[in-house]
Amino acid sequence: MKSIKKFDAVPKLNGTWRYLDDYQYEGMIHGQFLLSDVHHGKIKEIIFPDGFKLEDFTIVSVSDIPGTNIVPEPVNDQPFMVDDEVMHKGQVILGIAHPDKKLLNEFIKNIKVNYEELPAVIDPKKCLDDETNHFGRTDIIDHRTNAPIDPNWIKHHNVYYTPHQEQAYLEPQGTIAIYSQEKKEMFVRVTAQCPFYVKSGVENMMGNAVDNVVVESTEGLGGAFGGKEDFPSLLSGIAALLSYKAHKPVKIVLERNEDIAITTKRHPGRIEITTYTDKETKRIKKLDIDYRLDAGAYQTCSTVVMSRGILHACGGYDIPDTYIKGRMFRSNTPVNGAFRGFGAPQAFAAIEAHIDRIAKDLEMDPYEFRKVNIFRKGAEFPTTQPVVENNLEDCLDRVIEKSDYFKKVEEYKEWNETHADKKGIGIAIAYHGGGFTGNGEKNMKPKIRVTIDKDAMVKIYVSSTDMGQGAHTTLAQMFYEAIDHPREKCWVMLPNTDKTPDSGPTAASRTIYIIGNLLAKTARKIKHELGFDNLEEYVKNHQDQFPKEYFETFIPDSSVVFDDEKYVGIAYKDYSWITTVNEIYWHADTYQVELIKSWNVLDIGKVVNEKIAVGQVEGGVLQGLAYGTSEYMYKPNFGRMKGFTDYTLPTTLDIPEIDVEFIHTDNPTAKGLGEVPMNSPAPAIRNAVHFATGVMIDEYPMIPERIFTALQAKNKADV
Amino acid sequence: MEIKFKLNRKDVVIDVDPMKRLLDVLREDFHLMGSKEGCGEGECGACTVLLDNKPITSCTANAIHANGKEILTAEGISEEPEGKLLIKCFDEANAVQCGFCFPGFLVSSYSYLQNDGEKNLDKIKTALSGNICRCTGYQKIFEGVMMACDEKENGE
Repeated sequence: MKSIKKFDAVPKLNGTWRYLDDYQYEGMIHGQFLLSDVHHGKIKEIIFPDGFKLEDFTIVSVSDIPGTNIVPEPVNDQPFMVDDEVMHKGQVILGIAHPDKKLLNEFIKNIKVNYEELPAVIDPKKCLDDETNHFGRTDIIDHRTNAPIDPNWIKHHNVYYTPHQEQAYLEPQGTIAIYSQEKKEMFVRVTAQCPFYVKSGVENMMGNAVDNVVVESTEGLGGAFGGKEDFPSLLSGIAALLSYKAHKPVKIVLERNEDIAITTKRHPGRIEITTYTDKETKRIKKLDIDYRLDAGAYQTCSTVVMSRGILHACGGYDIPDTYIKGRMFRSNTPVNGAFRGFGAPQAFAAIEAHIDRIAKDLEMDPYEFRKVNIFRKGAEFPTTQPVVENNLEDCLDRVIEKSDYFKKVEEYKEWNETHADKKGIGIAIAYHGGGFTGNGEKNMKPKIRVTIDKDAMVKIYVSSTDMGQGAHTTLAQMFYEAIDHPREKCWVMLPNTDKTPDSGPTAASRTIYIIGNLLAKTARKIKHELGFDNLEEYVKNHQDQFPKEYFETFIPDSSVVFDDEKYVGIAYKDYSWITTVNEIYWHADTYQVELIKSWNVLDIGKVVNEKIAVGQVEGGVLQGLAYGTSEYMYKPNFGRMKGFTDYTLPTTLDIPEIDVEFIHTDNPTAKGLGEVPMNSPAPAIRNAVHFATGVMIDEYPMIPERIFTALQAKNKADV
Repeated sequence: MEIKFKLNRKDVVIDVDPMKRLLDVLREDFHLMGSKEGCGEGECGACTVLLDNKPITSCTANAIHANGKEILTAEGISEEPEGKLLIKCFDEANAVQCGFCFPGFLVSSYSYLQNDGEKNLDKIKTALSGNICRCTGYQKIFEGVMMACDEKENGE
């Protein structure tokens, strides 16, 4: 495990690293959206305000689109701009541009839109409880045995709700589109995770109006967490259309409140679990899960999120008889999309809460109950994929030992007897499959390009972006370490769709796992082919052979076979494992949960760069903790959160000490890392709240109001 | 209106709408892109600058507030000895991920180092509580500031 410092840390610190809004182009004008302000309705008329020179504004609507009004997605159902019917608040009706940002804002604020309003579903719980909102598609993992239900089995049936979560990348979404009439080309600079997604989005929008679309990443990408996976396509598509019409570069940077109002969030979930557990053996014998996601107004990439969700829904348990059903529901809210974890955090929030409920009824310690049911070598996932290692159990045992779990359980029980405030400790276990689901990588065929110059400088061209996770530092490291090349002679180039092959999106914990391992393999292959010990020496002595260029394509393991219709086979070749123990302090006067310490033990395989990996886990764990304690978007009788003032992100004063340890690091493969830390912290808090207060709360997050209500109900029942 | 102030140790004069946001004055009129707009409502701290040695969010201040005062931005601080020390320590601790919030953290940390500088985690947490970071979980940022407190104390 080495810790190499990031190449971009110093320029980021002194303010010279350029993010989207720091780029300036000659003649550039500002773009902004006219957004719908009803949840559902038909546009009757748009009235522009008096007192503005209309001819100075560039205005685009659906009728200006030379291509198609569809944002490319796994399900192609979301338009760039409203055609006729507004399906959610914050949908783009018009794109408008003007050289003066302030005047543009003033103009848009004064446009009046008259609607014929239609009924709308806004509350995620109401959306998910009502089966008539189902979009239509149902995915099923069927591993039933049809064994009869034994009278000795105890049934548990509960419904768990998880909230929206806002990615809250610190840099708001933004894009710059520059149309060149001469070249019939559209150049886009954008803060986005996946330059090739943006390229296909702009191509869809522009149709035959341009011959080429070039998308280049910004130097600095101010955070993403999934939020800049597909939304930049919509944003850039409309910016491109504005630039095409205005014949000028157009920059659109969303204001924070706009960003929160219209971009994708984590899907709210409703997960209904039924289990049967044998009273004698304490083994779970049968599991049935109804997994629902609120997709928002359109389906877009929700199918893929749902698929990953149901593939992680049974948790880390060996259950012989399982049936898992996944469905998407429609609401009149902006589309929900990718966010670190991609359907899995919802799944683990539910199953890990459910496991503690069964343990309680069996009067077992939650750790002991997990030990009885955890899957081990020889067991199967519900897809029939064999479990090939006991590393999840090793993580669990290590985190129990490390956190001194049993001693604390005793101490806290005793302390709680004599105090109004309460201490709590809770466990959760989880995992995350690395890379695309099933045949994803096979279909994608991710590519890389590497050049070696006459001075032995290695340049790596991949479309993976560095959004802060340190990908470009670590990817270069994986290449140069494989052949002992000096660090300063190996660099990842800024992704540009004309120069970089399509390595696939920067998502699904696949950057190090798929692209990094492919780079290391390529480095070793080049070394073998050329037969050098020292690349610099070799280049010096064979100048005529350089510059040299290499292209490689990822070839998936042929043993990975998955039937994506029936959900049978190997869904992910490698899983990363995590176990969390959280300690909390519950305040009896405010009902607030204070986080004391979060212990996390993970197996991510080989750790390429320890400092970067620990930083990733700490950040992911904190997002997971906030998912469990404070973050949600919708409140009945209030509506959706509007900005950083009412959406409660954790500050330096809200956080616990976070302990991180990696085990089984001798694995030659570096597995996925980005998402797994998101999956266990929230349920471990929920379980700690149960330990502390005695109430089981099945709706996340654990906000004081919810704990208050649950305690009131319990006290009433106890009387 | 003519506004005179000291910006990163230099005297400057500018003719500007006195109600223009200080953040926009810095970015648009002085091309100092270090201060970032993360929220525009004083919550996230990405636009933090020092006004007469006190950290303020420049998105909620106006040009007029700078009149006759001294402003120090992340760019200016990175030229100061203690700014250089902090940059070194943050780099060492791998505190930086996406980096968008960091010029703001640099300013708040510099202010703490100047005005207190005790290696005390609780005090550091309070000093940085106006800055939001979504990537790191803050642990490495604290480590960086603690390291800087240590090195300053020991005169390294």
